[in-house]
Amino acid sequence: MSVSERDAFLRGFKDLWPSSPGIFAWGLVTGVAMVKSGLDVGEAVILSLLAYAGSAQLASLPLIAGGAPLWLILLTATMVNLRFVVYSVLARPHLAHLPVRRRLWYGSFLGDIMFARFLAHIAREPLCPHRDRYFFGGGLANWIVWQLSSIIGILMATIIPTSWGLELAGSLTLVALIVPLCAQRPVLAGVLVASVTSILAHGLPMRLGLLVGIGAGVLAAFCAERVAIGGSAGGRR
Amino acid sequence: MEAYVLLAILAITAATLITRSGPQFIDTRLSLPARIEAALRYAPACALAAIAAPDFVFSGDTLQVTLTNPKLLAGIAATLIFATIRSMIATIVGGMMVFWLSRALLGI
Repeated sequence: MSVSERDAFLRGFKDLWPSSPGIFAWGLVTGVAMVKSGLDVGEAVILSLLAYAGSAQLASLPLIAGGAPLWLILLTATMVNLRFVVYSVLARPHLAHLPVRRRLWYGSFLGDIMFARFLAHIAREPLCPHRDRYFFGGGLANWIVWQLSSIIGILMATIIPTSWGLELAGSLTLVALIVPLCAQRPVLAGVLVASVTSILAHGLPMRLGLLVGIGAGVLAAFCAERVAIGGSAGGRR
Repeated sequence: MEAYVLLAILAITAATLITRSGPQFIDTRLSLPARIEAALRYAPACALAAIAAPDFVFSGDTLQVTLTNPKLLAGIAATLIFATIRSMIATIVGGMMVFWLSRALLGI
């Protein structure tokens, strides 16, 4: 690794740091939830290390506890994770020069928070070199904080009272990631529509409300962008 | 360890690896239509919103969009804190403070 590659990696790692309290709280809550839903300590640790997918894990827990068929668990986890397909497609050009094995390896570190940071970084500095290293630095920092907090949560599940409502800290982290993105009007439109739609569709099975919310939000942002372009001097097209 | 639980863990792992790494197999010479790619750029922000929004208004399965909902108050406070001082840690800590304080004041 060259000096500049290492710098990019370290920058990615450091840029994730301000988000770590939120990731930590979220991981802690997921760890606690896994044990409270009936997994034993070993099972919970293996699930955390192998899957590393908080929301998919949380969505699957009631299914496992209820002895649901495996295909339903696979389908539910896939639905909840479908947003990673979009992230991965968006990341693809930035990883294009890497061999396929490394692309797969880096891809497996995709997460909501590290990817929001990555997108903010390349929006700020579109020509920055070694963005793949920046991506991996952020991804690794996210992974470390998550696994640490998740395992602490698993071990402390019987001590941490549910009444603290710590899971809210995870959602507050997302607020801090969303607000700066809303400086662009289409994003603001998308965020508002995605929020309302996901609330209205919350009762759908397999957490499909998440997908419906994302779909409606993207559509709203896209329409808002068209309106904005149409309104400014005849538009670009 | 129960075989069923182990298989369930493997199913969740498979779902995650396929969705995260699968698209990395796509040939870069194949590119999405520009309009679709432009629209997809909005997906991460929308996904974050769709994940977070229900957490602020639901307690269990009950929808509560009122100013006596401590979670909603915390969410509003967090938005204002980040919009004014741009600090993530202050947003998380401030939001949790508002949550715990309003819960205590409302006697919940």
